[in-house]
Amino acid sequence: MGRSYLGEFEELVLLAVAVLQGDAYGVVIAAELKQRTNRISSLSGVHIALYRLEEKGFVRSELGGATMTRGGRRKRLFTVTAAGRQTLNEMRTVRNDLWNFIPTPSLT
Amino acid sequence: MANHTPTPPAWADRLLTWLCPPHLLEELLGDLHEQFAEQVIDVGEQKARQLYVVEVVKFIRPYFLKRRVGHFAQPVTSPVSQGAHRYKTNEFPQPFFLHPDMLRNYVKIALRTLWRSKGYASINVVGLAVAFCISLFLFLIAYLQLTFDSFHEDGDRIFQTYFFSNDPEQASRSAGMPLPLMPALKTDYPEIEAAARFIVVRKSLVEYKGHYFDKNVYLTDPDFFKLFSFPLRKGNPESALRDLSNVVISENMAQTLFGTEDPMGKPVELGSDGNRKQYIVSGVLADAPYNSTIHYDALIRVENLPDYQSAKDNWGANSHQVFVKLPPNIDQITFESRLKAFAVKYFHGSLDDLKKKGAKPDERGDVFAVRLQKLADVHFGREISGGKGAPIALIYVLMGIAFFILLIACINFINLSVARSFTRAKEVGIRKSLGALKKQLFVQIWGESTVICLIGFGVGLLLSYLLLPVFNATFNSKLTLDYIAQPGFIGLMLLVFALITFVAGGYPAWQMAKFNPVEVLKGKISLKRPGILRNSLIVTQFTLSCLLTCCTIIALQQVDFLRQQPLGFQKEQVISIPVGSQVNGRQVLQRLRNKLASDPTVLAITGSGVNLGKGKDRVTARGVLGITYKGNDIATDWLLVDYDYLKTLNIKLLAGRDFDRAYPTDSVNRVVITESMAKMMGEANAVGTLLRDDHDTSGVKSQIIGVISDFHLYSLADENKPITMHLSHNEAIHYVFVRVAPQNLASSMDKLKNVWKEVAPQSEFMGSFLDENVDAWYQDEEMLSRVFSLAASIAILLSCIGLFAIALMVIEQRTKEIGIRKVLGASTPTIILVLSKDFIKLVIIALGIAIPLAWFGMHTWLKGYPYRIEISAWVFVVVALAAILITFATVSFHSIKAALMNPVKSLRSE
Repeated sequence: MGRSYLGEFEELVLLAVAVLQGDAYGVVIAAELKQRTNRISSLSGVHIALYRLEEKGFVRSELGGATMTRGGRRKRLFTVTAAGRQTLNEMRTVRNDLWNFIPTPSLT
Repeated sequence: MANHTPTPPAWADRLLTWLCPPHLLEELLGDLHEQFAEQVIDVGEQKARQLYVVEVVKFIRPYFLKRRVGHFAQPVTSPVSQGAHRYKTNEFPQPFFLHPDMLRNYVKIALRTLWRSKGYASINVVGLAVAFCISLFLFLIAYLQLTFDSFHEDGDRIFQTYFFSNDPEQASRSAGMPLPLMPALKTDYPEIEAAARFIVVRKSLVEYKGHYFDKNVYLTDPDFFKLFSFPLRKGNPESALRDLSNVVISENMAQTLFGTEDPMGKPVELGSDGNRKQYIVSGVLADAPYNSTIHYDALIRVENLPDYQSAKDNWGANSHQVFVKLPPNIDQITFESRLKAFAVKYFHGSLDDLKKKGAKPDERGDVFAVRLQKLADVHFGREISGGKGAPIALIYVLMGIAFFILLIACINFINLSVARSFTRAKEVGIRKSLGALKKQLFVQIWGESTVICLIGFGVGLLLSYLLLPVFNATFNSKLTLDYIAQPGFIGLMLLVFALITFVAGGYPAWQMAKFNPVEVLKGKISLKRPGILRNSLIVTQFTLSCLLTCCTIIALQQVDFLRQQPLGFQKEQVISIPVGSQVNGRQVLQRLRNKLASDPTVLAITGSGVNLGKGKDRVTARGVLGITYKGNDIATDWLLVDYDYLKTLNIKLLAGRDFDRAYPTDSVNRVVITESMAKMMGEANAVGTLLRDDHDTSGVKSQIIGVISDFHLYSLADENKPITMHLSHNEAIHYVFVRVAPQNLASSMDKLKNVWKEVAPQSEFMGSFLDENVDAWYQDEEMLSRVFSLAASIAILLSCIGLFAIALMVIEQRTKEIGIRKVLGASTPTIILVLSKDFIKLVIIALGIAIPLAWFGMHTWLKGYPYRIEISAWVFVVVALAAILITFATVSFHSIKAALMNPVKSLRSE
């Protein structure tokens, strides 16, 4: 079974969705990323990543409530699926393993 | 700033709305707006708007544009969104409806459908082309007439003066002005920018190096060039008519007289025998365009008028037109009110006369006034200019007919498209179920009809190009397609075209786009109940056709009646020759009498001041004398004749005698009157009585020597007046009449032509038979009835084409019904009747509308004629029968085919 590929930006977005815990949608994710990584990501980029993640089955979405600032438009709320969580875990494990194999430099 | 809510640029939103797949739009716009609201707080409104635009632009990428709903995984049902907003996985977003792929598809489908239904397409194209072509001609005529004299700059400031006098019987207007009027106007009203007299004389003789030509030489004033915008090709407008011996000639005349030579400064001789004068060419003027009231070959100064010196101070002799140009700041009404003083100053005599006769001031307070007529109206002012010019009503009739024909073609188009839409319903249904939007279907179907319209328009233009010479020959018009290139006309045609494509193409397209796909695919839509719209359109079509047909027949009857009406004189075998002003009519008549005295084929010769009928010179003149005889007001034609008038024209003498050379006094104060004149005078035995005016104290009385039967001196379209004939040795004879033997009329005409060359070498021979002249009286009516017949036949043809095609489609749709009827035992005639019945009903309704309309319209038209036919019922009966017969024939062509078909064939298909 081939593994789904997860790009760096996609991984960040997926993590952000996980962090935001059911309150994740375009603008909030973009803001979260800006705050945490200090890089400005465009809304369209975030949305493309979200839709790709949804196509890959890592997130699922539903339409949420509307607010005045949105001109009465509903938002699409994203949550991480089991598959998404598993992929994140796997990636984390892989990275941790790799980190563990980096020879510790001598402190002396 | 309290109540100002910052909003992102609306155009950016629109751009996104236009490009973004609809199912993503809400959330994306929402996110964008939310972000915008935050950024307004962070960086200010202006910067936020800039950032907003940048964000929107970033959204324009293929990933979004091509995105489909199905790309999402199955939505999750959560308590929030339960049931409300699920996505159908098979629903595709609409592609942008003018997407190149779609357009290519439309064109492909349009060409395929047109190719497949060649019959339908060609019927439409032919119908539209014929209608376009005819209405183009009619519009051209109307356009030319309506734009008469419109080429002059400042045309709205140029006016013709006319006299208004509020006579007790009827107000009258006349454009004939006395010679001193124009100079007086200019002196009394210095604000007038330019003013010129314009004397229209008969053809005048022009000689250059021994060659003689007959040309329209007009007498005018130097202001002519300031007044009108005819471009002067050579010469200086300031000085061209400075000298009395200057002549300005038209390009056309320069060509005939001088060829390639430079005409400037060349001497030309103008004028009649006794009054010839040399002029020097001082300018070449462009030829007047066709739609100009003024058509000149040469212009000379008014002062060259033979009797100018004696007439220049005569306020009573009204002879010519005067045109003035007002400065821009004075309008017509203001100036007319200023002219009141002018009328009082110079025409107090006329004013007093009118008041004595009991004339009352009109609503503007005028009994007698000098007024202005706009240059644009001069062409239509038949009353003012004495019956010349085009009747404007006729032009509106022409335009109305053009619209009728276009309307009929449009109705065909609509009906055929609607009828055909049922056969195409399946296509529409399938397209819809595959997700086509209403507006996409509309564009597709409407596009197809626009293609047909375009082809029809093109073919129509081609057709009019080919038929133009024929049309010009038939209707004696001088149309060229050059006029089509004029902006006003192009605008008109584009408007008509746009209307046709939108109305005739748009309505059926809209209808089809509305089809419910479920019903269509179930086969529920059929033509079982023919639409009320289709029926009313067919009724309209046939109403118009029948209306035109009835009017044509009645107009033709009237023209025929006018022609057949006994005129009181014998018009056959009489040749009428206009003498022309170059020669002395009395001398020519005498020479002619001497020459032909011994000729056995010449039966009688006479002369007169007035032509009978409209001769080749197209001049008509009328002199009416009003007298009060023993308290009766009588208006009589005052006619100058010569000896043998009665003999030449075969007019019956009822009492007394004709003028006779044996009585020398006959040439002074002796008159011959008509029966009706005697009746008006109230004299049972008029011969021997003195004709005198109660108010006239000068003692000049005419003795009546003979009474003759009434005859028509003028067209039957004009009112006939009693006639008083007198003989004089001084007054000018303008026409010579010759009665020839009935054998070989053509050779008599040739002989006369040769003799004419000897007796009047300077005058062109323009002889014509009186019966031709009389026919020429009715050329307006003739033209009208010809246009009517053409329009009526085309209307009928187009209506029949439409009916033919609709019948075909209806019958195609009813094949199964016919099959069942046959199987159940219906006979062939029954089936034909069943099929034709519906259409015959419609035609009968149409007749019911058309006949009263036609009766009313023609009744009103006929009222304008003192001699007229009674509209007889058989006209309507014939038209009704013909219409029903034609309909039956058109429809039964298909019905018979359908009725004879083997029912097995039509029933087996299911």
